[in-house]
Formats: sequence, structure tokens, C-alpha cells
Amino acid sequence: MEFVQNFPFLSIILSLFAGPLCSVLNGKWARRVNTAVISIIGIMSTLVLGNVISAGRPYVYLMGHFPAPWGNEIRVGILEAFMACFFCVIMLLCMLGGIREREAQIEEGKQNLYYVMVNLLLCSLLALIYTNDLFTAYVFVEINTISACGLIMIRQTGRTFEAAARYMIMSLLGSGLLLLGICHLYAVTGHLLMSNIRQQVQLIAATGQYHISLMVALGLMSVGLAIKSALYPFHAWLPDAYGYSTLSSSAILSSLVSKGYIFLLIKIFYRVVGFEVVRESRVVNVLFVFGIAGMIMGSVSAIGEGNLRRMIAYSSVAQIGYIYMGLGLATEAGSIASLYHVLSHGATKSLLFVAAAGLADASGGSDRYGDITGAGFRNRLAGVAFTVGSLSMVGMPVFSGFISKLLFAQAAVGHTHKMLPTVIALAISTVLNAVYFMKTVIRIYTRKPMGLSGMGSGGAETGRVVSLSEQPAKSAALVCFILLNLILGLNSDPIVRLIQSGIEMFE
Amino acid sequence: MHWEYLLNNYEEAVAMILFGIGFSNLLLQKNLIKKIIGLNIMDTATYLFLALKGYIADRKAPVVVDGVTSPEAYINPIPSGLVLTGIVVSVSVTALMLSLTIRLYRRYHTLDLDEITTRLKREGK
Amino acid sequence: MDALLLIPIALPVVGGAALLVSSFREGASVAGRQDSGTGGSGLTASRTAGGQEESRVGLCVYVGMVLGISVILALTLSWTGERELVLFTLLDTIPVYFRIDAVGRLFVTVVSLIWLMSALSAFVYMRHEGKEKRYFGFYLILYGILVASDFAGNLVTLYLFYELTTLASMPLVLHSGKRESVMAALKYLFYSLCGAYGGLFAIFILYRYSDTLTFAAGGTLNMAAAQGHEGILLIAVFAALLGFGAKAGMVPLHAWLPTAHPVAPSPASAVLSAIIVKSGVLAVVRVVFYIVGAEFLRGTWVQQAWMTLALLTVFMGSMLAYREQVFKKRLAYSTVSQVSYIMFGLSLLTADAFTGAMLHVAVHAVVKCGLFLTAGVFVYYFDYTRVEQLTGIGKRMPKTMWCYLLLSLALVGIPPTGGFISKWYLAEGALQSDTGVFAWLGPVVLLISALLTAGYLLPVAMKGFFPGVGAEPESRDEGDKGSGGLAAVPETETKTGASSTSEPDPIQEPALAMLLPLVILAALAVLLGIFPGSLIEYASRIATSVL
Repeated sequence: MEFVQNFPFLSIILSLFAGPLCSVLNGKWARRVNTAVISIIGIMSTLVLGNVISAGRPYVYLMGHFPAPWGNEIRVGILEAFMACFFCVIMLLCMLGGIREREAQIEEGKQNLYYVMVNLLLCSLLALIYTNDLFTAYVFVEINTISACGLIMIRQTGRTFEAAARYMIMSLLGSGLLLLGICHLYAVTGHLLMSNIRQQVQLIAATGQYHISLMVALGLMSVGLAIKSALYPFHAWLPDAYGYSTLSSSAILSSLVSKGYIFLLIKIFYRVVGFEVVRESRVVNVLFVFGIAGMIMGSVSAIGEGNLRRMIAYSSVAQIGYIYMGLGLATEAGSIASLYHVLSHGATKSLLFVAAAGLADASGGSDRYGDITGAGFRNRLAGVAFTVGSLSMVGMPVFSGFISKLLFAQAAVGHTHKMLPTVIALAISTVLNAVYFMKTVIRIYTRKPMGLSGMGSGGAETGRVVSLSEQPAKSAALVCFILLNLILGLNSDPIVRLIQSGIEMFE
Repeated sequence: MHWEYLLNNYEEAVAMILFGIGFSNLLLQKNLIKKIIGLNIMDTATYLFLALKGYIADRKAPVVVDGVTSPEAYINPIPSGLVLTGIVVSVSVTALMLSLTIRLYRRYHTLDLDEITTRLKREGK
Repeated sequence: MDALLLIPIALPVVGGAALLVSSFREGASVAGRQDSGTGGSGLTASRTAGGQEESRVGLCVYVGMVLGISVILALTLSWTGERELVLFTLLDTIPVYFRIDAVGRLFVTVVSLIWLMSALSAFVYMRHEGKEKRYFGFYLILYGILVASDFAGNLVTLYLFYELTTLASMPLVLHSGKRESVMAALKYLFYSLCGAYGGLFAIFILYRYSDTLTFAAGGTLNMAAAQGHEGILLIAVFAALLGFGAKAGMVPLHAWLPTAHPVAPSPASAVLSAIIVKSGVLAVVRVVFYIVGAEFLRGTWVQQAWMTLALLTVFMGSMLAYREQVFKKRLAYSTVSQVSYIMFGLSLLTADAFTGAMLHVAVHAVVKCGLFLTAGVFVYYFDYTRVEQLTGIGKRMPKTMWCYLLLSLALVGIPPTGGFISKWYLAEGALQSDTGVFAWLGPVVLLISALLTAGYLLPVAMKGFFPGVGAEPESRDEGDKGSGGLAAVPETETKTGASSTSEPDPIQEPALAMLLPLVILAALAVLLGIFPGSLIEYASRIATSVL
């Protein structure tokens, strides 16, 4: 066993212990530790990715050297390592982008607690990605929920408490269902390790035994994770949670936390239940229908929203819908498209959140729709970044959103029943996205009419010019996000191939 | 239709009914404390279900006493371990929920989440 | 592989982007000044007034240089041999791929010509509108994108630059930043996006049933794979026709055009009407003749529907133009109608009609650009936007009006102008086609529409030259209503005073930079009709290769 192969385990442990460490440090040092930890884990994941790619096959890491049916395992394939790497990059950029908001919005003396939460979140995300044990996955799902809740309520306002409470309630409903599903699966198969369950499920499915139990377990787990990742009818908590928490929290929650659950669901589909069984079950159709409903209803809600960040949050609902629609197609191409959209949405949505905060900066701290008029001139980088993000969301070529849309449609074409609904939903959703995103882009590039006459009447001039160097961290994060988006949009081919080989490694 | 199934597996049936009760309480109750109680019922139902799955009639708890090491003498220990882990998780989650409830109650003097929401909307911020 | 191809695409884009960045700087500093209060504004105002003229000349030279070099490069590259370039791979089998072929050559030439003419006129006109740097920035970028879409060698590349065309042309529409123009730009964006999605849908389907998405004359449809899936393929083609037809202003997605074109600055309207709508035509040509193949569509319901829609648009556009009183809006409706001439020619799927369509692409581009530039002259010097205000204008601007008259005649199709040749071929193609009722209905509709065209264009010229006895120019206040009360030049005021006392108007021709493009375009419109030989030969060569 090469030394590199220890890295997944080490990265989980590192972030796990960095959490408590941050609780005894002061805010500034906690931040440094946190940045260092995320960077180190990012580098380690890259090394692991290189190792797995060169080896060409996944490997299993035995925790405590207990062999298969008893011990706990970590399993590393291309997709796992790639996701870990990607999550680290996004998290680092989100943390960079939100430094100033954190300092302003979190009480002095509680700053370090934020980094405790972030470290734990990273730990749980990594564990969700890597683990080969279903119950371990459940435990880390709960840790994920708790730390995400902490991220929401660290900014102490009534809104965030309410949002956190709602978030917790929905999440707990989801994890209750997930746990029950896992128990059912355990009752049927007698195993907790994913590979072992898979073998048993194949046997069971071949003989047709316990069909109902299996379907119930699959349904419970899918619905549970769907609730947790805010699939359409379960999204009520999302706009408040994303709209009022501190910037890094919104960005991380929207682009990472929900994606962690989705990744777990994909893993359950491929590694636990087996994709054949999933395809034959009707659960995927439910996901498909709700995904499409989410795509449309999320955008419709976003159109009526007067607050920039809540608008972006509603757009998340729509984008999650895309992902579930892709899964609901129940083809490998659909899953690839969904995974690509996980990347594309992760890169774009956090970009939008950070850019929106930059625009709000230039508009007297308000992100109400009326106040950001002309903000693109006052904070140029944020304006450009927001435009890039919007175009990507609308699905303009050159940006990442276009590629995911292309992949979704390609996956749908050739599907006998689901092609038409998919393509029509994509069309409607594209137009709706264009409505609210382009509306906003035009608004931020429209000069205030009273601005022409200098200090006109009609209220105080709230705008303020934000220069590029005022917040170097945020500017750097925005530039990186834009680059990431362009890379995903222009150089999608190797990434898609990586995802494909990763999915093949799931088998 | 298959009433015998239910009768033969009445423990599991009870666990599922309990789960339903807990789930709907967590979902539908307005009062935050009642929601938390619902959460606990739901979790407990799951643990009951798990424990049942590990139980084998006429065997003892998997604690080695009197030098009996044969696995035939004991029930399946894994679900018990899972239940323990689950309890830890649910305790921490409950604690978090309770602390949140306290925060909200101190601020708004009510435990009704919907009322808090309407009040927040009225405040406009 | 020929990396040279990249230069005429990248140069204007980079040049335009540089202008945008610099205008952005200014915008930010203006915002900064506003923010810091009005303390030093008097000082800056006097300073900017002095430097403004100088910087304007600099800007014009810069734009002229960039555009000139790009045009020369684009033309030399496209007319000297076959070139191709794979830029990079988007998805595993879909590269971003450029290749020059006959159709692309024709379009590039038209685009370049119109772009130069409109830029020349805009150098003067844009003083009226302000924010010139932003205008020319997007103008240059748009040129690069259009060249790229003309060079595009496969459907996905074409789609990519088609979308970018929409994006880059939108700022031209919302240039004035008024509510009206923003709403128009949004309308334009939504129609184009909806349309483009129709095209994208077709791409998805075609990708599955064709050998390759790389253009090949005659189509690349894989008949074996398409066997039994004709229904869905036809739907896809129809979606593409409707979708790309949106850009070309074809019913039912035409409503944006009369809204968006008139609100743009006139030189922008000129390129929108002359060129941007043609990118829809180009996309349709590519899909129908270079991917699907004309044979596949012949005699299907798609062809029937296409012909019906095109004829409907031809007729409806003319009718609406006839009834419209706002001059630029009238021209926009005329675009709706005239571009559907091209669509009708394509829909017939015969060689002559295709030739006619290609000819009409060139003729209409030249003519409509000229007409809008004329409208720009009137807006710039008199702030006239309505047709009745133009009464008697021929006395004041005889040269301009003569150009207008020639261009109108060309659009109506009076021999010996270019419009006659293209319409002749369209009608000929229709009569030859075995499309049943359309074979005679088409020419009839074209004829009616030509009469209507004469009805809405020529009276302007007639009233312009012969205002008639007692034709008192009505109150000048209305002039301000149309284009936002910017008192363009002091001459306007004196002129207004002079004409209301019914003295003979002194002759006042527009600046050379505005007049020259008009003269060139008018001359071209006529010359195309007198010496059409080589162009006809070129177009019919394309036609025989694809049909």
C-alpha cells in the first residue's frame, strides 16, 4: 500500500481534529488553521486523484485492518477523489470570499466557532464522499446537518434562528427516513458495507424475494436525501437559510452541503442498490417528476422575489431540480449530466452569492432589488462576475451551464418516455432563468436616473464605489470562480470523461 | 390482506406505527417542543426496529460471561451497536434543537414557529 | 488547420473589449465623482468639453483601424482558398470548428460591407446618442462574432456564436438606457433565447440521427439511423425553423423585431435589420441544406408549414409597414416582410429560389442598411421620427433623398435594380417548384407585397420632393416626442424657425461621413441590378451544390 492511499483517511481525521483545535484558538488563528486545513486536504485529494487515475482502479482502505463484513471501510475511486478535490476548492473560495462579511456579522469571540463548524462540515463531506459503510454515512449526514445548522445560526438574527429551526426540522425528517431506509436494507441484506449489500441485493433481486422491502428501503433513502437536499416540495427552509445567513455560509450551503447529499444518493444508487434495480423501480420516476416540478416552480418563485440573495436561493431550488431530473432519467448519461451539474452549479452558485454580496457592498449593504441599480458600475468585478454567473445559469455557450444543459438534453434524447418532458422542461426553465437573471444583469448595469443629476432628490445616494483592491480576498475568489466557470464551460471534455470513468469505477 | 404478516411481525408493525406518529408530529406540530418530542419518538421507533432485527429468540445479550464464547449463545451484536451510535446522534441533535428553541423563545416569547415567521414577515427584516 | 482564421474573429473582439474596459473605467470614475459630491464637477466639465472632440477623433480612428484591418483580413482569408481550424473540443465528438465555404464567404462579404458603412455613419451619428465607446466596443465585438458564425463549420459552433450574437447585439438595442429600450432589449432577448432553444432542441435530435454535425452540402443525415424516426426529426427541423426564424423575424416569433429595431440608435438599427436578422437565415440554411438535406424535407408538412408561415409573414409585414407612421418602425416591419422573402425562397427547395434567396440576402442587407441610415440622418439633423414630418424634406436634403429613392426602388424590385433580380429568381423558383398551390400563390403574394412595399416607401420620397400646395409642416413639438428631446444640434432650432415661416428651405446635406455610405449603398443597390452576372453565377453554384 502506497503512502498516498492513506490520504483520504488522513484528510477526514485532519479536518475532524482541526474542529476542536479551532475552538481553543482565537478567531484569526482559527481562520488560518482552517484555510491551511482546507488547502492541505485539497492537495492531498489531488494526489489521491492522481494515484487512482494512474492505478486505473479503485482501492479499499480498511479502518483498523478489520476485514470485510465486520470492519469499517473507506473506498476511493476517481469520482470520490475528484469530488473531494472539487469540494475543497469551492470551500476555500467561499471562505475567501466571505471574510469581511464574517467579521462584520459574527460576534467577536464567536469567530472561532464558525471555523469549528466549517472544519466539521468539511470532515463530514469528505466522509460522505469516501465511506463505504452505510451507517457511517448516516452518522456523518447528521454531523453535516448539525454543522450546517451552526453555519446558518452563527449570524444571530431572528431570521437566521427561524431559518435554522426550519432547516433542522426538514433535515431531521429527511435523516429519519434515511435511517429507516438503511435499517430496512440492513434487515433485508444483513450487511452495512456498501459492496456487501450490493452483492446481497443482486441475489435478492434475481430471486424476486423481499421485493417490497427493497423498494421501501430505496424509496425511504431517496426521499430522505431528497428532502435534505431541498428537492422542490421540501424547499421551504431554503430561501431563508440561504438568504439571511452570512455570505460564506450561504455559498457553502448551496454549493456543497446539498451536493454532498446528492453525491451520497448517487453512491447509494450505484454502489448499494445497483443501478439495474434502481432503473426498474419506480422511485426514479418520482424523483424525475419532482425534479421537473422544482425546475419550474423554483424559477417561478425566483421571478417574484425582490431580494437578490433570496432570488439566487430560489434559483438553487431550480438547479437542484435539474440534478434530480437527470437522476430520474435513470440512464448512465443522465447520471453523468447530474454529476456534471453538481460541479457546474457548485461553481456557479457560490460565484453568484459572492458576487451578489459584492454588489450589495456597493449599494449600501442592501441587496434589495431596487437598491442594486447600477451596482455593476460601482463594483466592477462583482458586476462582471454576476454577469458570468447569470449567463452560465441561463445556459449560454462558453460557460459551464451550457455544457450541463447539453449533457442533460443528450441524456434525454433517445429516452422513450422521458425525452419530451425533459426537453420541454429544459426549455421552459431556460426561459424563466433568463427572465430573472437577465433582468438583474440589466438592472445592475442601468444607471440610476437620479445619478445623472448628481445629488438628486428621491432618497439618499446609497451607492459607494468598491475598488478591486479593497477586498483582495474577495476579488481573488471572484476571479478564481470566473476562471473555474470558464474551465468547466470550455474544457468540459476531460471532466466528463473523468466522471464517466468514475461512475464505471463504482461498479 | 396479509393480516398474519402483521400479527407475526407485530413488533415491527408497532415500530412503524411509532415512526409514523413521530414523523407526523415532527412535521405537523406547531409547537417546537412537541416537534422535538416527535423527533424523539421517531428516532426511538427506528431504534426499536433495529433492536428487533438483531434479536434472536432465546439468546442472551452479547456480553461474554461464564466463558461462553460460542456465537450461537448470543444475539446479533451489530444492531445494538448501531442503536447506541444512533442514540448518541439523536441526543446531540435534540440538544441542538432545544437550544435553538430556547433562543427563539427568548427572542419572541412563543414556541409557535409559524407565528415567529409571520412576526418576522411583519417586521420586514 | 489554419490559425490565421482566428485573427479576424479575435481582433475585433479584443479591440472591442478594450474599448469596453476603457468605457467602464470612465463609468466608474463618473460614478466616483458622483459619489464624492459635486464639488469639482464644474472643473471636470470644462476639461472634458475641451478634450472630448479630440478623444472622439481618436476613437473613430481606432475603431476604423481595428475594423478595417479585420475586414481586410476576413475578406482576404475567405476569398483565398479553403481554410479550416479546429479550435478545441467542446464535448468528445463536438469540436469548435471553423471552415470557410461558399455560403460563409457570401455572408462574410455582406457583413463586412455593411459593417464598414454603418460604422462610417455612426461616427457622426453617435454624437447624438453619447456613450460612444460602449457602442463601438459592442459593435466591434459583434463583428468578430458574426465573422465567427459565418466561418462556423459545424452546427454547435454556429449555435455558440448565434447565442453570442444575441448577447452582443442586445447592448446596441438598449443603448439609450431608457425604460422603453430596456424593455425592448428584454423582449429581444427572450424571443431570441426561446428561438435558440428551439434550435438547440433540433441539434440534440440531429446529433443522434446524423453522421456528423459538420456541415456538408446536401446534408449529413444518416438515413439508416433515421429510418422510422422521421416524425421526431421533422418536429425537430420545424422547431429549428421556428427558433432560428425568430431571429429572422418570421411569424410566429416576429413580435420582437418591430419593437427592438426602432429603439436602437439608427446605425445599430441598420446593422440589426441588415445583418443580425440574416444570422437567423444563415442558421436556417445551415440546418436545412447542410445537415438535414433538402430531399428529406421535400413534400413534407414541414415544408408546407414553412412556406405558409413565410408567405404569411411577407404579407403581414408589408401590411403592418403600410399602416405604420413611425418611420423607423415602418422600416422594421419592412424587414419582417423582406426577410421572409428569403425564407420563402429557401422553403421552396428549388435551385432558382435558393439563388434568389441568396441574392436577396445581399440586396436586402444593402438596401435596408441604407434606409435605416437615411432614417438616422433625419433623426440626427431634425429629430424627425414620424413619416408625416418628412414632408418636403427632399428640398432640404436632395442628395440624401435621391439615395433614399434609389434604395426604395431597389427594395420594391423595379428593374434595373438589385431587388428586381432577386425577386425575379424567387418568383421563377416558385413557379418551377412542384409545390401545388404555393407555386402560383407564392408569386402572387410576392407581387402584392411588392406593391405594398412601393406603397409604404415611395410616398415618403414623393412627399419629400413634392410637398404639395399648402402642405404646412405640422408642429415641430412632435419631433421631440419620438426620440427623447435631445436637442441635437443648434441648426435644428434655426431651421425650425425658418421653415415655419414657409420660406424655401436652404439646402443642407448631411456630413460627408453620413452621406458617403448612403451614396455607396444606393449605387450598389442599383449596380447589383445592372451587373448581376457574377453574383448570380456564384449564388446558383451554391444552389446546385446543395440541391
